[in-house]
Amino acid sequence: MLFSKDRIGGVLLLAFCITYGVLSQNITLLPIQAKAAFTARTMPEVLMVLGIGLSLLVILFPGSHERPRLAGFNWTTAALFMVLMSAYGLTIRPLGFLLSTSVFLIAGFAMLGERSVTKLLLVSVPLVVAFWVLMTQGLDVFIEPLPWFLKG
Amino acid sequence: MIDGILIGLGTALTPINILFVLTGCLVGTFIGMLPGLGPMSAIALMIPVAASLEPATGIILMAAVYYGAIFGGSTSSILINAPGVASTVATSFDGYPMAKQGKAGKALAIAAYSSFSGGVIAAVFLLVAAPFLAAVSLSFHSADYFALMVLGLTAVAAFAGKGDVLKALLMTVIGLMLSTVGTDQTQGVPRFTLGLIDLTDGISFLLLVMATFALSEALMAILKPSGDDKRQQEMEASSNLGSMRVSKEEVREMTPVIGRSSILGFIIGVLPGAGATIASFLAYGTEQRIAGPEKGKLFGKGSIRGLSAPETANNAAATGSFVPLLTLGIPGSGTTAIMLGALIGYGIQPGPRLYVDQPAVFWSVIVSMWIGNIVLLVLNLPLIPYIAKILAIPSRFLLPLILFFSLIGVYFVSFNTFDIQLMVLFGLAAVVFRFLDFPMAPMILGFILGGMMEENLRRALLINNDSWSFIWQRPLTLAILLIAASCLFAPIVWSRIQRLRKGADRAGEGG
Repeated sequence: MLFSKDRIGGVLLLAFCITYGVLSQNITLLPIQAKAAFTARTMPEVLMVLGIGLSLLVILFPGSHERPRLAGFNWTTAALFMVLMSAYGLTIRPLGFLLSTSVFLIAGFAMLGERSVTKLLLVSVPLVVAFWVLMTQGLDVFIEPLPWFLKG
Repeated sequence: MIDGILIGLGTALTPINILFVLTGCLVGTFIGMLPGLGPMSAIALMIPVAASLEPATGIILMAAVYYGAIFGGSTSSILINAPGVASTVATSFDGYPMAKQGKAGKALAIAAYSSFSGGVIAAVFLLVAAPFLAAVSLSFHSADYFALMVLGLTAVAAFAGKGDVLKALLMTVIGLMLSTVGTDQTQGVPRFTLGLIDLTDGISFLLLVMATFALSEALMAILKPSGDDKRQQEMEASSNLGSMRVSKEEVREMTPVIGRSSILGFIIGVLPGAGATIASFLAYGTEQRIAGPEKGKLFGKGSIRGLSAPETANNAAATGSFVPLLTLGIPGSGTTAIMLGALIGYGIQPGPRLYVDQPAVFWSVIVSMWIGNIVLLVLNLPLIPYIAKILAIPSRFLLPLILFFSLIGVYFVSFNTFDIQLMVLFGLAAVVFRFLDFPMAPMILGFILGGMMEENLRRALLINNDSWSFIWQRPLTLAILLIAASCLFAPIVWSRIQRLRKGADRAGEGG
């Protein structure tokens, strides 16, 4: 099977290993290390050779010929969660912990099918507040709770 | 040794440490019970909390979470036939049929007694083996350590499934590659930072573990929902657990099984790369063979032996995997690899010196294993009917919460939003490779051992005047490397021999 799971994974990792190998040549070496047996480049170069070799072996001799099945998976929801997590990372500072986390959880619950607004609010908001209190009061980990426009 | 045990007892029995053992066991049971989330995710989720504690307390907490998660995995295997972890798959073979026969309480009790016995017996073995091995390994040089790390990494491949050897090795190399990102430790040269200041310190170990386990497991559950309705129906069916009493005859039947499986589990656990899953399947198969034709037929239909063997072996193996971690600084499994990362985070270098330099950490981990097992038996078993209610929480609430705890766990350590974006990226990559059936644990092992491996190789070359001859000049280094090579090539040679034999047999039949 040309496009088996092993082969696709092998090709992706081969691309990664080649990129890694190219980038390994950008590691600057001090002049005194030119003749040393072990430099900052040694390990990356050995790994590049091993990585490329093993990727090629996986592509040439795949352990299984199973093809990836794309049907029956919630690709859109998973992709939306990726976007949601990334957005959470971008908003946690400007919007503050309480608002950004509450929005993250409410959106997450809603994306997985929860439709009751009461449940959405009752599960997320108290949990976020309790977690913030536990972290700041219990474990002494301070995190800005409020958005930038409400800060003093 | 008596002094050591007293040090361990003194440290582990402080009120704060007992509190963390209790919490760890309980939290571990909760997380382990959730289908899809195993001990690795449970420990990863605990790292941010453990980082704010004293080293001994932090390690005790993580060890307690580890046993708790294994115990929790057994509970979901027995009650709803949904093993939280691979090491409890064999438990479901006989545990679930028992639950269906209305004997869920008895099955849980047998699992708990077996886990307890396996853990305690293996902890005794650990008590004897660890100091001995630590004393021996004090004579190891950098070259030997380098060779040991090569052995640890190749052993992962030896225990990988059929056709997975190459993939396991490749993922190990990817882990090693990721470990080289950041400033080079000896020359201060930036490597693979892509000009980003955020990558100067390298990729955080916690970030990688969280992304590849907790985050990607939750995303996989979002991708392919298992169906809450079925889970809830199963929960309702097994809501009446029945009696938890185990009769004298049943105890008599379990005892020899526990003895054999403890020894087997511990030995398998000590081997790098093997771990609890192989131990549980091996113990199950061994007991089925020993049981004879009559009792053997009961396996898979609710056999006490079939339930007791894998439960004992997986706990004994979990304990056994601490031997290489505590004595050589080489993790025997993915879970202990995460613990190794946490120890390094505390500035503690596991290995033979740990026994000498940090006796409180060394012994308290061993003693906490006993305490943890007692807690699981005395506290968690009676609480199981209540803890099991977590299985009824709809995944639409659970999954976003797991994602949140993973993200915030990493953010609370660095307070750098770049880490969240990097985590999402690694989470995406992990989902893709899990989907393609590429194993993640070897990558974590490679990532954790990468830095140490490079440092030991560099030191070995420096001591040996930049000559690679240390590989064949030091008998110990050579012996370890030869074992590593045989680990790597034995499965290939063995499958070739089998194929040749089959070919010869067929030719014989044809002739």
